Amino acid sequence: MTTPSLDDLAALGREFRAGGTDLMSRTVPSREYADLSGTPELTGIEWSADGSARIGALTTVAEIAEDALIRAAYPALAGTAAGLATPQVRAAGTVGGNLLQRNRCAYFRNPAFSCHQDGGDSCPARAGTMLNPTVIESGPCLAPHPSSLAMALIGYDATAEVRGRGAVPVRDLYGDDPGADHLLAPGEILVGVGLPVPVPGERAAYHRAIGRAEAEWPLVEATARVVVEGDRITLAAVAVGGVARTPLRLPEVEAALLAGEPLDRAAALAADRCSPSPDAAYKVALLTGTVLEVLERCLDD
Amino acid sequence: MKITVNSVPTVVDTQEHDAAVDVLREELGLTGAKPACRTGVCGACTIMVDGTPKVSCLLPPEALEEREVTTAEGLDHPVQRAFAAHDGLQCGYCTPGFVVEAAAFVDRWRAEHGDVTPPRETIAAAMAGHLCRCGAYQGIYAAIGAACRGEHDDGHAAGGRVEAMEKISGLARYSTDIRLPGQLEGVIIRSAAAHALVGDVRAPEGTRLVDLLPADRTVRYAGQPVAAVAAATRREALALAAAVQVDYTERPAALDDRPGAPPVYDERSRKQAASSAEGFALPGGWDGNVRRTSAFGARRGRTAKARLEAAHRAGDPGLVTGTYTTAVQVHTPLEPHACVAHWDERGDLRLHLSTQTVGMAAEAAAKRWNLDLGRVHIIADHVGGGFGAKAGLTVEAIAATELARLHAAPVRVALSRGEELTDAGSRPGTSTRVALLVDEAGDLAALDLDTRGRGGVAIGSAVALLARLMYGTAPRRLRDFDVVTNEPPGTAFRGPGGAPLHWALEQAVDEAAHRRGEDPIALRRRWDGNRKRHALYDWAAGLPVWRDRPATGSQTGRFRRGVGVAAANWFYFLVPGTEVELEVQGDVVVARTTTQDIGTGVRTVIAGILREELDLPAERIRVEIGRTGTVPGPPSIGSRTTASVGPATRDAARRLRREGLADGRKVVGRRHRDRRGYVTPFAVAGMAVGRGFSGSVHVTEVEVDTRFGTVRPLRVWGGISAGRIYADGPARSQCEGGIVQGIGYALYEERRIDPVTGVVLTANLEDYRIPGIGDTPEMVLHFHQEGWEHVNGQGVGIGEISTIGVAASVGNAVYNATGWRPHDLPIRPDRVLEGIHR
Repeated sequence: MTTPSLDDLAALGREFRAGGTDLMSRTVPSREYADLSGTPELTGIEWSADGSARIGALTTVAEIAEDALIRAAYPALAGTAAGLATPQVRAAGTVGGNLLQRNRCAYFRNPAFSCHQDGGDSCPARAGTMLNPTVIESGPCLAPHPSSLAMALIGYDATAEVRGRGAVPVRDLYGDDPGADHLLAPGEILVGVGLPVPVPGERAAYHRAIGRAEAEWPLVEATARVVVEGDRITLAAVAVGGVARTPLRLPEVEAALLAGEPLDRAAALAADRCSPSPDAAYKVALLTGTVLEVLERCLDD
Repeated sequence: MKITVNSVPTVVDTQEHDAAVDVLREELGLTGAKPACRTGVCGACTIMVDGTPKVSCLLPPEALEEREVTTAEGLDHPVQRAFAAHDGLQCGYCTPGFVVEAAAFVDRWRAEHGDVTPPRETIAAAMAGHLCRCGAYQGIYAAIGAACRGEHDDGHAAGGRVEAMEKISGLARYSTDIRLPGQLEGVIIRSAAAHALVGDVRAPEGTRLVDLLPADRTVRYAGQPVAAVAAATRREALALAAAVQVDYTERPAALDDRPGAPPVYDERSRKQAASSAEGFALPGGWDGNVRRTSAFGARRGRTAKARLEAAHRAGDPGLVTGTYTTAVQVHTPLEPHACVAHWDERGDLRLHLSTQTVGMAAEAAAKRWNLDLGRVHIIADHVGGGFGAKAGLTVEAIAATELARLHAAPVRVALSRGEELTDAGSRPGTSTRVALLVDEAGDLAALDLDTRGRGGVAIGSAVALLARLMYGTAPRRLRDFDVVTNEPPGTAFRGPGGAPLHWALEQAVDEAAHRRGEDPIALRRRWDGNRKRHALYDWAAGLPVWRDRPATGSQTGRFRRGVGVAAANWFYFLVPGTEVELEVQGDVVVARTTTQDIGTGVRTVIAGILREELDLPAERIRVEIGRTGTVPGPPSIGSRTTASVGPATRDAARRLRREGLADGRKVVGRRHRDRRGYVTPFAVAGMAVGRGFSGSVHVTEVEVDTRFGTVRPLRVWGGISAGRIYADGPARSQCEGGIVQGIGYALYEERRIDPVTGVVLTANLEDYRIPGIGDTPEMVLHFHQEGWEHVNGQGVGIGEISTIGVAASVGNAVYNATGWRPHDLPIRPDRVLEGIHR
């Protein structure tokens, strides 16, 4: 078996396949993809002398969840990886694939509909029925961003290494473009992600608000990273998903925490930027509840 | 491409296939891995790749190149014996996937923790990528726990159902797994419009097209079958289907139940409306899209109405009213509807069919294709679940048979999960308005129920009517209405009518008890004349969880615990003409009848009776069911299989014992009449309604998380009075599965349709949410076995009674926990948050 080079794969002009957990479920039956699996440039976790990690795009979600060094250095990332999807999907799905997957809107995924996401000019969900839409206004598409790992990485101000472009902030992979779930140009390849130097004493938590016990896309999800010195919070990073077209940091909540506000008051600030449709108003309560949940868990132990 | 599969190095051609699972199944004949969802959600296609469990539907064939692959067929692991011994399966379709994953988990757990039982949540997290629609999760927990303790390291599996190892090892062949020489793949072309007159159907030159339209050439829901085509591979068949152009003249569609919605039927076409009831719909009159089905008790109904109106005017505190709604629940058995049809060299029709009704399907096929019944051969050795959706001659069988004739070759038609979730069976949604009046003595003085059933284009809602059978003889008005829409047809689903009735009635009764300040079990015991259920009330009232339940609405913390009770009532049906044939073949006694095991365990019931009556070891008994060509037997619908087959088996065994087990001897046993006969003087469509009603009482404990609006069922006690239990293990599993499905109905399951186009949105198993292992409460069953002495065999069916009351027990538990009573199913987080914070 010879592995094609990244140049060859990019030249195919097709959608890339990493672990296939999104692409294969979306496009069955089809072989119209460029398979990245096995390309050596995209694999492995490397540690720098300063203690920071660089994670290859083809590293599986399960490897992130189970790697002892990652768990110690970046607990919010490892915890998020452990909490998403199912064991088989974590074993197959990759970091790169998770960041660049398409959204899970039932209208987008149903071939009977056309929408902004597949070249159309409208959103059928707006006249239709959607239990899990965005609640933070971000353009004409209502599909929440699906990537839990992107949320966790944004919580670390991580960078994405894009082939031919170098490092860009992970948050810049995303925007409110209703026609795309990420902003990489066709043919661009995410090679890996870079994390900052770990923070000693970091406490972290991840929570996924779902109806059933396991195996669901989140209604709302959040991670928090907190450092406590004495009785003061000296570092706070709160990121949320499931509520907008992109994963988001909540600087207003972080500022309140650093200013010594009680957790519930700080968490409640997450509601201020929401403008939900009546059917989705419950997600605002879930958002503040989820933020409070991760903050409480950070400070519990 | 080179791979090593189950330790055998092999070279396979992957050209024709898009996913690894298809290479294993189609090239290597390893059909243990089932592509049941093709989205990586259900886990039925799980295999090990270099020791790691992976869903093979999401792997391209190349992912197996130069790898060590282990499928269920190649596994040799103690957890397989544990699954058999602890009955961690019913229909078995999901089982190979579960077992492969469980094997990897058990090894990892024992290496890290030693031979100890893992916490329940740890097992749930490890198995989160698997779904079992039968709900055999309690057995799966037990099996994995036992394997982790090292209890099955040697020896063989004791106990369990007779075909357990066949299913566990992936060798059991279901209809989806059949591949005959020269077999083609058929696909169904479905309507893109919710309501349209179909004009031309244009296919590429030379295409052999089967027309599936009704006589009036009108499609009445999006997803309705229009035509079918076949080709050598599924990929080619799909491409061919995509090339067929269908002209639609669209008509306005009724996609809601408002008055003034466009008509679904005119006076002539109403007659073709399918029925969502088991068998037939009661006659009724139409008003636009609303069809009044039945009204019970005109005179007593007027009395009830008068009493309720007077109570309303007087502001009587004994008047309890409310409207309770249910969502559409989809059967979605893990094995989709599937048929391989083949016209053999003699012109006989051979159907490998995933069916609950081998006999009825053969009769319908003989009639449709004008054949002698003896020339229709149905094979359904294993059936991957049904729950009511696989009765009679279903559309995939019609399509496959017609295609097989056109192509003069065997044709397989297996529905995709999207088709299965769109147009292969669903329990109609309902809205029930209840009014009941309790008089000063605390007795039921009047009852009024109006149910509007929404089964799409199907009619036959019979919900309110069933309230005639509970809580004494107080005057009552019970009316059922169908509201037809341009949505896919509802179908009978495990306890049709019973599930929505009890959701409404059992909460209204609970409300009446709370208003009076009376124990809800005590009030039911007073109102309910069913003596067998009295025994269940006494058992339930004595449960510590009931005695120690919190005062309703007394809790203020984030997590609130509550306990709820609900009773239920169901029919005793049977097929009086059932026979069982026994043949001695050397050392072995072979039993045959025209029935099928869809996961209920009827094979095990038959084998158990033979063992008992003939004093034979298991290896000397073989049960051959799932085929035509033998004596008549029951369909697996309406809780009638065991009550019909059991006594006939015993009769046959006793005849054989009298005549002696000589090689070649054949006897036929009959299902002798019950003492006092039946309610129905003669069998209708082969079925009789027996005397007496089965009963259940479910006590459910939940925890409500008020921060997230989630309801977690913690423990459920299920009391069932259905007389003698024929086979304890499968009976328990079926009743546990009934609880699991009831929890799905209560908390998660909801088919959603786009209100503009009528397209089903919940067309995959991520968006249509069935309970997983982590949603499964701990369950305790109690069988009250007395009270059926008049019945031949002294036991009746349990399939339906075990599920229909569960949702109301959850609703009543949520009320007990929070003081807020849910009225709408499913009890979603948004509804809980709105309810408790209002």
